Parts: sequence; structure tokens; C-alpha cells
Amino acid sequence: MSEELEQLRSQLREWLDQNAPKDWRESASSHALFAEQQRAWFRKLVDAGYGIPHWPAGWPGGGRSLAEQKVIYEELARADAPRLLLTFVSTYHAFATLHECANDDQRDRLLPGILEGEIWCQGFSEPNAGSDLAAVRTKATRKGDVYIVEGQKVWSTMAQYADRCLLLTRTSDDGPKQAGLTYFLLDMKTPGVSVRPIHQIQGDEEFAEIFLDNVEIPVSERVGEEGQGWAVAQATLASERGLTLMELAYRMRGNLFRLADTIEKRGRSEDCGIQRDLGRLATQVDAVCALADRFLQKRMDDEERIGDASIVKNAYSRALRAWADLGVRVDGYSGQYRQAITFGDLNTGNWMADFMNSYAWTIAGGSEEVQRNIIAERMLEMPREPKNWTLS
Amino acid sequence: MIELSELRDAVQKAFPPDPLTPDRDQSWQLAAEMGWLILELSDEQGGLGMGRDASATLHYELGKSLPAVPLIPALLGLQAVAASTCLAGKEEWIKRVSGGEYTPLNMLPGAAVEQNADGTLSGVIPGYFEADMARQVVAASAAGFLLIPTDAGGITLSEHPLWDPSRRIFSLELNNYQPDPALVIANPQDAGELHDLISPSAQLAIASDSLGAANTLLEMTIEYLKTRRQFDRPLAMFQALKHRVADHKTALEAAEALLWSRAGPTSSMEELGALKALCVRTFRDIAEDAIQLHGGIGLTEEHPCHRFFKRAMLNCTLAGDVDHWEGVAGRALLSSS
Repeated sequence: MSEELEQLRSQLREWLDQNAPKDWRESASSHALFAEQQRAWFRKLVDAGYGIPHWPAGWPGGGRSLAEQKVIYEELARADAPRLLLTFVSTYHAFATLHECANDDQRDRLLPGILEGEIWCQGFSEPNAGSDLAAVRTKATRKGDVYIVEGQKVWSTMAQYADRCLLLTRTSDDGPKQAGLTYFLLDMKTPGVSVRPIHQIQGDEEFAEIFLDNVEIPVSERVGEEGQGWAVAQATLASERGLTLMELAYRMRGNLFRLADTIEKRGRSEDCGIQRDLGRLATQVDAVCALADRFLQKRMDDEERIGDASIVKNAYSRALRAWADLGVRVDGYSGQYRQAITFGDLNTGNWMADFMNSYAWTIAGGSEEVQRNIIAERMLEMPREPKNWTLS
Repeated sequence: MIELSELRDAVQKAFPPDPLTPDRDQSWQLAAEMGWLILELSDEQGGLGMGRDASATLHYELGKSLPAVPLIPALLGLQAVAASTCLAGKEEWIKRVSGGEYTPLNMLPGAAVEQNADGTLSGVIPGYFEADMARQVVAASAAGFLLIPTDAGGITLSEHPLWDPSRRIFSLELNNYQPDPALVIANPQDAGELHDLISPSAQLAIASDSLGAANTLLEMTIEYLKTRRQFDRPLAMFQALKHRVADHKTALEAAEALLWSRAGPTSSMEELGALKALCVRTFRDIAEDAIQLHGGIGLTEEHPCHRFFKRAMLNCTLAGDVDHWEGVAGRALLSSS
């Protein structure tokens, strides 16, 4: 087995030497150009059989074990190739939802489009349903063969480029709030759908708001039954975590040289305090890499505990913050001169941008605080706070 | 050869976390009988020929009980003897030391020993744990690495009371001590090489001991938070406290992952030094906060919190401190970039 893994590794390494874009940081000077670049890189990876290793056998390059997937992401990180961001929701979240929860008709209609580059976005969060996702209020009302949808979604990653949306709505206010949710596959070209990108503090536009005004969705686009939306959403959210964090941790380690470069550039290499802080940070990053490796090993061995994924996420996001923090500190006032940002990368060496970008991992995908609750309550079995809190 | 899981089970069985710090002399007997002194000794030298990960497992599991038994300095001393290329009657020495004759290596920096004009040695070497039970010690000096009998002329051991109640520590005082040529472990020109051979084991051992202890302490603290009630609810229900515990758990898991990933034969001294820095820091952070999370009871002598705290603080200073090893790691990265 490990021989096969090494063979995969060397084949991919050779392929990446020939094919991985080298100048992607410089050439994506706008968000639109970044999206173009992403589409082309996804196409290339799919054609070579490395784009969807987690899909079942039968799909091009599918049927890879978790160990093989790990090798692929290790090598992508090592080659410093662009991360697949634009197609991430399509190939992980949409795929998992269709594969696990959709009916045959939906699967047959929609899966091939993902390989052809259709972009999906996730319509889950709302202005008043962030960490508390079950509080979703976007209303879907059945009317004959269609549902009429009214509401607003937010923090939808790259929804401005999306062809389709994984949409979580409320169809009932009765009973527990999780029980009134229903899940749809929405065509973003449907009349009444409008998208507005969110301008982030560092100048990127990775997320967008989606406004749904009297939008008609055919009943055939519902996933599962009415009221089963929460369960479907769990399948969507469970689709990926381990590999991404491993890949990101490896990429942070591979980019430690950017910190060393800044330290040299600012004449701080002989500063013992900076040397120690760098040494501590490098060790912290190594520990996150080891933690992500161990997590994947547990997954492979079926030994994952509830909360393990939260631990990896929090360990990574804190290390990422510390990484950017040291960079900003060493860069001094020069770091406060605004520079053009690089799209699609968390470890650029543009320190203020990296620092602001690091919040993407302490807030998005279940905030650091929610993860802490999961670790404390579900792994360490500390009691939950009482429900039914009211302002006295 | 035994499996790591068997070793783990055996240590857990022999050293349950209660009582903490079991009797030293009985523990020493037990450790010798269990074969823990010969874990890493090669087959040819009469050992079990196990790897670094076996020692790491041993010290990690032992660490959970804040052991008084000085297995770390004992194994390092044995390693020095076994690696010697010049010690007279080495086979016999290995037999004696691995058979239970406690021969520690010192664990603190700051040795100051000078060679006098007549070839004798004078000075002080700090950092010998439990030296009252040592027949001889391993000492680095201007004359190389030496075995020094503790009852030799010109040799005095003086104890320094420690804050840490789980261990005792002694300085070796040399007063015109005449080194015995038959007891040289490494000549001065080979001393650096021997040091670099032993240091990685020391780093890994302290890292393992620290994380084992940190584990027990964090569990104990969580248990306390679940039990203690204020404002009509267990403390464990307060999110402000839960979040701190979750962060400690996260730090501990990350440090453990790094520990086991570096417990193999290929890790360098620098990598293990950086690992040690992370692990003692993690232990210390948890120990500091455990007292705060226990509140008043954490400040009392009868509660075990302070014993973990004091052990953590001492561990921070052993075999090169946190500042030293973090600096080494930082400089390595700067020079490779």
C-alpha cells in the first residue's frame, strides 16, 4: 500500500512540476481574473485525474482512499499550487449533499455539471442565523408544484460566481427550530435572485449576500422531505474538514520563509527576541501539521472522537493568527503602507492583509467560540448552559 | 522486545495517578524489575533494543503520577556509559548500571569545573536528582565525561531544597578531586559528540514527562469544575471557564501530536529541543491556570494542584530552557531561508 502511495506521490510531483501555475499570485490582480485562473486550474486537475479524488470510483480520478487524498493535498501544498477555492463548495459540499441525500434524478442531472466547472455556493447563514444556524428564517411556502422563497442569505462564499446554490429554508415554525427546515437546490439564474459581494476589510470579496425575492423553486429541486433540512445540512457540513486543514497547515509551514525574509529585510535577524518568537511559532506550526496528520490517521482508523475536528480547526486558526501577528510586528510601519492583495492565499507575506484574512478561520466555518463549546461540552462532557434564557 | 501498548499498560498499572508521587525507593525497585532501565539498551548489551518512542511512552505514562523515581537521569546516565568507547570494563559497568545501580546524569546547566595544575578537578556541577541513592554519577568536566564515585575523596554531594516536592536535587562539589583514568567515559575531544548523542533523549524525556503530567492535571481540573457548585450550578457550566479548558485541551492535543511525530529515531537534537520547549510551556500554562480554576483550594498545600505547578516550573529549567531552544529553532529557520 505505501508503495502505491509513493508511486502516486512521485507521479503527481512530476505532473505538478510541469503543470502547476507558478505565477498565480502575481497574475490574479483582480477577483475576476482570480476566478478565471481558478476555473482553468480546476479543469486541468480534473483532466489529469487529481481534481476530485474523494468522489467514488467511476468518476475521473475518483475512488481514492483517504490516504491517497492526503498524498494529493500534501503534494499540492508542497508545489505551492493554487488552492481550489472557487470549486470547493461544488466538489465537496454540493457533491456530498447530492451523493448522500439527493434522489437519482437530481444526482444524474447535477453531478456532471460540477465536473464541467459549474460553481455552487452555500445559502445557509443569515443575518440572524450565524453560529446559531437552526435559526434560519428564509421562508419557503409550497404553492402547487413550486415553493415560493423569500429571504436573505449572507456569508456565501463566492456566490457572485455561482451557478447554483445549496439553500436552507424554513417551511414551518412549529416544534423545535431544527424540525421546520427544508433544503433546496437553487438555480441562481431564477428570477428574483440577486447577489451582492461583501467588501471585506482587507479588500477582498470572497463572500456575498444573496437576496431572494419571490423566488420560485420547483418541488423537484427539494432535497429530502419537507422538515428534513437540518439533517441534509449536517451532511453538507460534514463533507470536508480534515484534508483542508492539513493542506492549510502544510502551506503555512511551507511559507515560514516569508517570515524569515521579512525578518532579514527589516534587519532583525540578530534580534534574540525575534529569533525566539520565530522558533516558537515554527514549532507551533509544526505541531498543527502533526495534529492534522494525526486527525486524518484517526479518521482512517475510525477512531475520530467528537470534537477532534474542532481541536484541529482552533489549533490551526490560532497559529495562523500568530503567524500574521509576528509578520506585522516585524514589518513595522512599512507594513502599514497599503499594498495590493493576493487573492486565494492566506500566507502571502502582505502582513496586514494576512492578519485580517486570518479571521476567515477564527470566524468562518463555525467560529472559534462555537468550536470551544463543542470541545468542552461534547468531548470533555462539561454541562451545557440552561436553555430558555430570558431577559429578566 | 515488547509492544508499546504493553509497555503503556504496564506503566499505567504499576503507577496509577493515585497516589501521586509514590515512594521513590519502592518505585526504583519496581522499575528495575520491570526492565524499564534497559528499554533502549541494545540486544548485544543485554537490553530490549527498543526505540526512542519506548522511552517517550515510559516517561509520558510515568509523568502522570509525578514520579519521584529518577528514571530520566538514570536512563541518560546509562546511555552515556553504553555509548562510551573508552570506559575500562564497560560490559561490567553496563551490567551494574542497568541492573539497578543508580548512576545519574546531571540535568541542569551551569556546571563550573576547572582542572587544576596537578590534574585534579575543582568546582560544582548542579542538577543531580536523588543523588543520595547514587553510587556514582556521570559528570561532564574539563577532563571529559567521567564516572565519579560519590564516596571518592574530594567529592561532596549537597542537597538544595526544591519548591517541587516530587523530587530532590543535589550539587556535586569537587574539591581537588583526582579523576580515575579507568572511569573516563569520553575524553575531552569526544565529549561534544557524546553530549549531542544524549541531549536528544533528555529533551524527549522531559517533553514526555511534562505532557503526561499535564494530562492528569487537566483531567483533574475538569473533574473539579464539574463537581464544584456556585450560583446554583456547576462551575463547568460557565462558558468563560469552559472556553479556557477547551483552549488548554487544544494546546495539549497539538503538543502531543508533535511529541509522537518526533519520538522516532530521525529527529534532530534541535527538533527535540524545540519540542521540549513547546511541551514544558504547555504544561506550565495548564498548571498555572489549574490553580486559578481551582480557586482558593488550589492555593492550599493539601490539594495536589501546587505539586503539578512546581514540577512544571522545574521542568522548564531542565536540559536547556525554553528561551534557549526557541532561539535555536528560530536561528535554524533564519539560516535555512
